[in-house]
Amino acid sequence: MNRTVLIIGVIIVALVVFVLFAGLGKDPQHIDSPLIGKPAPSFALKAVGTGETVDLATLRGKPVIVNFWATWCGPCYEEHPTLVANARNLPNVQFVGVVFNDTDDKILRFLSERGSAYPNLLDTNGKTAIAYGVGGVPETYFINPAGVVVAKFEGPLSTELLQENLAKALR
Amino acid sequence: MTAALGRFLILASVLVSTTGAIIAYAAGAKRSPEGLRWSQRFAYAFAALMLAATGVMEYALITHDFSVEYVAHVGSTQVPLWVTIVSLWSSLEGSILFWGFILGIYIAATTWINRNDHQEYMPFAIGTWLSCGAFFSFLIAGPANPFLTIANPQLDGPGPNPLLQNHLLMIIHPPMLYLGYVGMTIPFGFAIAALLRGRLGQSFLRPLRASLLLPWVFLTIAIMLGGWWAYEVLGWGGYWAWDPVENASLLPWLTATAALHSAIVMERRGVLKGWTVTLIQASFLLTILGTFMTRSGVFNSVHSFTQSAIGPTILIFLAAVLLFSVALLALRIDSLEAEGKLDSAVSREGMFLVNNLFFVVLTFTVLIGTCFPLIVEAIKGKQMSVGRPYFDAMVVPIGTALLFLLGVGPALPWGKASRKEIQNALLPPLITGAIVLIVGYAMGVRNGWTLLTLLFGGYAAHVTFAQMWLPLRQRLKRGDSFGPALLDAQLRRGRRRFGGYIVHAGAVLVFVAIAVSSTMRTQQEASLTRGQSTTFAGYTVTYIGSEERAEPHRKSTIARFNITKDGKAVTTMEPRMNQYAAMREPVGTPAVYSTIAGDYYISIMNMQGDQAGVLIINMPMVGWIWFSVLMMGAGGLIALIPARRRTYVVVPETAVATGDGAVA
Repeated sequence: MNRTVLIIGVIIVALVVFVLFAGLGKDPQHIDSPLIGKPAPSFALKAVGTGETVDLATLRGKPVIVNFWATWCGPCYEEHPTLVANARNLPNVQFVGVVFNDTDDKILRFLSERGSAYPNLLDTNGKTAIAYGVGGVPETYFINPAGVVVAKFEGPLSTELLQENLAKALR
Repeated sequence: MTAALGRFLILASVLVSTTGAIIAYAAGAKRSPEGLRWSQRFAYAFAALMLAATGVMEYALITHDFSVEYVAHVGSTQVPLWVTIVSLWSSLEGSILFWGFILGIYIAATTWINRNDHQEYMPFAIGTWLSCGAFFSFLIAGPANPFLTIANPQLDGPGPNPLLQNHLLMIIHPPMLYLGYVGMTIPFGFAIAALLRGRLGQSFLRPLRASLLLPWVFLTIAIMLGGWWAYEVLGWGGYWAWDPVENASLLPWLTATAALHSAIVMERRGVLKGWTVTLIQASFLLTILGTFMTRSGVFNSVHSFTQSAIGPTILIFLAAVLLFSVALLALRIDSLEAEGKLDSAVSREGMFLVNNLFFVVLTFTVLIGTCFPLIVEAIKGKQMSVGRPYFDAMVVPIGTALLFLLGVGPALPWGKASRKEIQNALLPPLITGAIVLIVGYAMGVRNGWTLLTLLFGGYAAHVTFAQMWLPLRQRLKRGDSFGPALLDAQLRRGRRRFGGYIVHAGAVLVFVAIAVSSTMRTQQEASLTRGQSTTFAGYTVTYIGSEERAEPHRKSTIARFNITKDGKAVTTMEPRMNQYAAMREPVGTPAVYSTIAGDYYISIMNMQGDQAGVLIINMPMVGWIWFSVLMMGAGGLIALIPARRRTYVVVPETAVATGDGAVA
């Protein structure tokens, strides 16, 4: 029995198993947002269609759901009906879509074909997406009535996931 | 019906591999020839069942039998036949079945080749292989079962992952990788057998080395194909990103390369037995770690399969094999005692030791870099990533040192040498090194590491070339005529040596090509309106226009560029931007124009109206990497062709072995 080999070996086994075990069950695609718990970056952007400017600062007092999306994004098509249905069911929550890397006409066509229930703002040059650190679309930020970011979700939302994250904004 | 047959075959293979493993270990413990024959039969039966199960799955895929869950998951009537066939390995469950298929072939082939040899070790080896077979059969039967049925099958499926559909390399890269990964099971079985027996005889070195070299060749080529695929398909202008899964394929390659070298010292000097066995164990364990990395959802990577439940199962297997290997090693390493000793540090064998040290340091460097984010998150709960700067800073110096050894090692004689002999061996190649360095400098190379690589590369090329043809020169000096001398020295008796130096020559070229292509690349971003041109690196690029193409699984924007040089048309390049239905990010496919000197590479950054934003890269020598790695693989194959059976009588090891090696 070679004790040195045994001891070194067992230490390696323990370390490897511990580290790998700790990693199980986590989603590696998920990146924590440094914005959680911080005031949401402000924006004032023009809504597609109406041309009206929507300023995030004026929406204080109720929870805001900011959904970043684009017409060239596959999962956004999948997610859209969920957002529209929830926006209709939740009059006390303000939904805002922010579209980047896209054009007015494509967005309008998308919305007229698939329906809309809340303002969708065109993010010229993607400045707002950059301020929020958007890694891909769709990506959704949940802001509480005090204007603080409470949650971020990457990928298409389902009604359950939306409610689960929204609950954090209502707390 | 098909699914039920598949499930039956897999359950049978769980039974056969488990029973076979028990019989084989018992046969080894009792040294029973009858038991060995039975374990051989079980090994063949396991292979037959895996073959049949894979055949059933392919049949289901080709006939679009959507009542089989895996077919419903990856099949589609819209994709070409080749995509249907290769979708066997396009998703988790099928890829594990494919793993079992290759394992079956390896086990049956190795058992058959050694059916009358190495009777002392074979039962333990077969037992170990069938134990691995039992684990993978269990995975296929349980957590990753591709043969589940769907009650109300749909009429069509989504087809495999779109990224896998857009390049033919997808047919070759995964099977090559599996052949490399799965093949490591075979030397592992041999190593475990040697440990269980408590001895590693000289005649057993041949199957051990051959079983390690074959998967090494496959892994070498697979790693290169992966890099090539990334370069041709992903559009960021590189071939290696230190992605966790790329690292996972590199790790066992590093330890296997080290083991191939230490095995030579073991053969020549009778030392480093325990060390070689440890490296072989590590190579196998690292393939299992790699499998865990791709299939547990723990690491973020291009290669990640969807998050699945098989992560914990593989982790348990990994932990069990690790513990078993460590315990066995601790128990038996002292009985594999050295028969010889090393005389001098400045010798061929001394350099082999340094080589092994560097390979192991490199393995740890890459392993720690890969796992560091997990460690930090486990301990501090913070997210972080380890990227290129770490790997480049660590790997470049170690790699350069390895290239230095690749020149100096083979130049030095075995054993003790006088000062004069050493000088005569080491000084002449410096001239070639200096010439290559000067040529490189004249051609504009200014990067210090690249210049050093050229110096060492020239040195190593000189040594490799001289060593490669040394046996031929000796025979010619003796007065043999050229033709027969060439055949005998290089391809008949000196084949192993010749193959080894072909691998070295390829490796020298890879080092130089990587250094030159990464430090001499130039790039330019340009925004062109239709009809506008830009000139970069000697070529004029004119944007002709773009078209949109819709396919069932993706929408593509294809831009067309005319490339001219000095007013003469050279080629037309068509990079594209693909938006897949199921992905959050668009994926660019670059256009590459390759010449011997290098590649001209255009990738779309963005398209807006009449404007195309492009990234143009000029990368010298990059194509040399693919070619040189193929050369390494070819050298490995040359060395692998079995030598003719020796004519002298081999005393069977069972006859000389005393009872002390018996397993308690």
